[in-house]
Amino acid sequence: MTTTAPVVAFDQVSKAYGEVRAVDGLTLTLRPGETVALLGPNGAGKSTSLDLLLGLKQPDSGSVRLFGTTPREAIVAGRVGAMLQSGGLMDEVTVAELVRLACDLHPKPYQANDVLARAGIAQIADRKVNKLSGGQAQRVRFALATAGDSDLIVLDEPTTGMDVTTRQAFWATMREQADQGRTVLFATHYLEEADAIADRVLVLHRGRLLADGTAAEIKAKAGARRIAFDLEGTIDEAPLRELPFLTSVTVSKSGSAAGSGQTIRIQSTDADATVHALYGLGVYPRNLEVAGLGLEQAFVAITTAEEAKSK
Amino acid sequence: MNSLIKLELTRALRNRKFLFFSVMYPSLLFLLIAGNADSTSKVDGTGLTLPTYMMVSMASFGALTAVLMGNSERIAKEREGGWVRQLRLTPLPGRGYVFAKTASAAVVSLPSIVVVFVVAASVKDVRLDAWQWLALTGAIWAGSLVFAALGVAIGYLATGDAVRPITMITYFGLSMLGGLWMPTTTFPQWLQDIAEWLPTHAYAALGQAIEQSRAPHAQDIAVLAVSFVLFAGGAAWLYRKDTLKA
Repeated sequence: MTTTAPVVAFDQVSKAYGEVRAVDGLTLTLRPGETVALLGPNGAGKSTSLDLLLGLKQPDSGSVRLFGTTPREAIVAGRVGAMLQSGGLMDEVTVAELVRLACDLHPKPYQANDVLARAGIAQIADRKVNKLSGGQAQRVRFALATAGDSDLIVLDEPTTGMDVTTRQAFWATMREQADQGRTVLFATHYLEEADAIADRVLVLHRGRLLADGTAAEIKAKAGARRIAFDLEGTIDEAPLRELPFLTSVTVSKSGSAAGSGQTIRIQSTDADATVHALYGLGVYPRNLEVAGLGLEQAFVAITTAEEAKSK
Repeated sequence: MNSLIKLELTRALRNRKFLFFSVMYPSLLFLLIAGNADSTSKVDGTGLTLPTYMMVSMASFGALTAVLMGNSERIAKEREGGWVRQLRLTPLPGRGYVFAKTASAAVVSLPSIVVVFVVAASVKDVRLDAWQWLALTGAIWAGSLVFAALGVAIGYLATGDAVRPITMITYFGLSMLGGLWMPTTTFPQWLQDIAEWLPTHAYAALGQAIEQSRAPHAQDIAVLAVSFVLFAGGAAWLYRKDTLKA
C-alpha cells in the first residue's frame, strides 16, 4: 500500500505551448481527505494543470505523481474519478446506459442506480444524452466521475451551466463526496463555491502558484479585513492615513439622517491593531463594523497585485 | 471493454439511417443493377453471371459501408466532442475504444453481407456450393477489417467538419473505381490498370475467386495485405499523435 504517498504531488512541473508557459514550475502536494479549490482567472493554467494531473498531457519537465504512481496507473487502479470541462458524452445512448458503462469500466464500481441517485439524475435516467440541458449534462459528467469508489475526485468547473439554486444543491452533492473521506480537487471561477466548500484554496496565475491556504488565509493575504464606521462632524484625514496595518482609506459623507457626519472605510491586514490605534486618536467611532473581505475581492487584489509586479 | 462494445452496438442498431445504408442499401443496389440481367450471359473474362458477380461486389460494398462509415465519422466527432478524452479517464486502454468501434461495426457488417446473399439466392437464383457460401461470408467479413482500419485512420485524421466529405470521397471513389458497382472490365483500359491496384478491387476479387472455385491471385492478396498494414499503421500513428496532443 502507498498510504504514505501524497494523493497528488507536482514537482517543478512545466508545460509550454510554443511561447506561452501554461504551467510554470508548479510544485504542490495534496493530502488525503482535503477538499481543494483551484482558482485562477481564464488562462491561468487551471485546465492544463488538471490535464497534467490526469495524465492527458505530459509535462515538458518535472514530475506528476498520484498516490506515488503515474497518473495512468492511478486511473487504471480505479483511484481517480474525474470530470472535465472538455469531457464529452457518448451520443444517442440514455443517461442510464452511459452511467452503467462507467460503472462497468470502474475497478471498484458502485451500483448504477445509486450513482444516478447520488448525482440527482435518477429522474432523467431514460433520457437520451444528447437531449440534456447544460446543467443536466454536468450532473451526468459528475455521475461518470463518481461511478466507483475512487480516492480522488477531480472536477473541472463542475457547476458551469447551472443556475444558482441547482448550483447550491450540487455543492451538497460535492460535500457528500468529501465527507466520505475522499480527496476532492475542483477548479472553479465561482469564488463563492471555493469559499463554501474548500478547506484549502490554490490560486493559480500565469501557470504559477500565487497563494495556497485556507480561504481565510487567502483573504488575510490580500489585506483582507474591512473596517467601517461613522464619525460626527468632519475629521482630518491625515492622522487616519497614519493608522497601522492599513492598506486603504476612503472617506465619504455619511448617508444617515444625523446630518453632517462622515463614513470612513478602511482595509487593514490587522484589524485589531488598527481599531486599537483608532481609539488612540481620540475619536468616537459609531456603528463600527469589522468584516472579512470576500474571497472574490481578495482574489482580485492578489492577482492584480501580481499583474502590477510583472509589468 | 465488452460493455463498451455492447453499448456501441446498441447505439448502432438504434441508428436507422446507418442500418439502412449498411444493411438494406447494398441489397437494393444489387437488385437495381442485376435486376434485369438474365442469368446466362457472363461477365467478360470471369465465367460468372452478372448476378453472381455483382452479389460479391455488393456484399463487399455493404461490409465496406458498415465498417468505414461506422468508424470514421464517429471517431472524428467523438474526438472533437471530448468523449475520447472522457474515456481516457477510465481504466479502458486507449486502443479499447478503437477495438470496440471496429467490433460493433463488424457485427453490423455481417448481416449486410448475408442479406445480399439471401436476396441474390432467392430473387436471382444464384447457386453456389455450401463451402462457397461459407468461404465467401468469411472472406468478405475478414477482408472488411482492412477498411475498418482505414475508417479509424480517417477518424483520427479529419476534424468533425471535414470527416464526412473525406469519408464520402474515399467511400465512393474506392467503391466505383474498385469495381464494386460495375465490373471493371467495362472500364477503359487505363482505368482498369489503376483499378487493379485498389484494395476494394482486390477485396471483391477475393470473393469472385471463391465463386470461380479457384485460388485467389497473389496480387490481390498482396494488395489487401499491404493496404491493411498501411491503414492500420497509419491509424496507430495518428492515434498516438492525437493522444499526445489531447
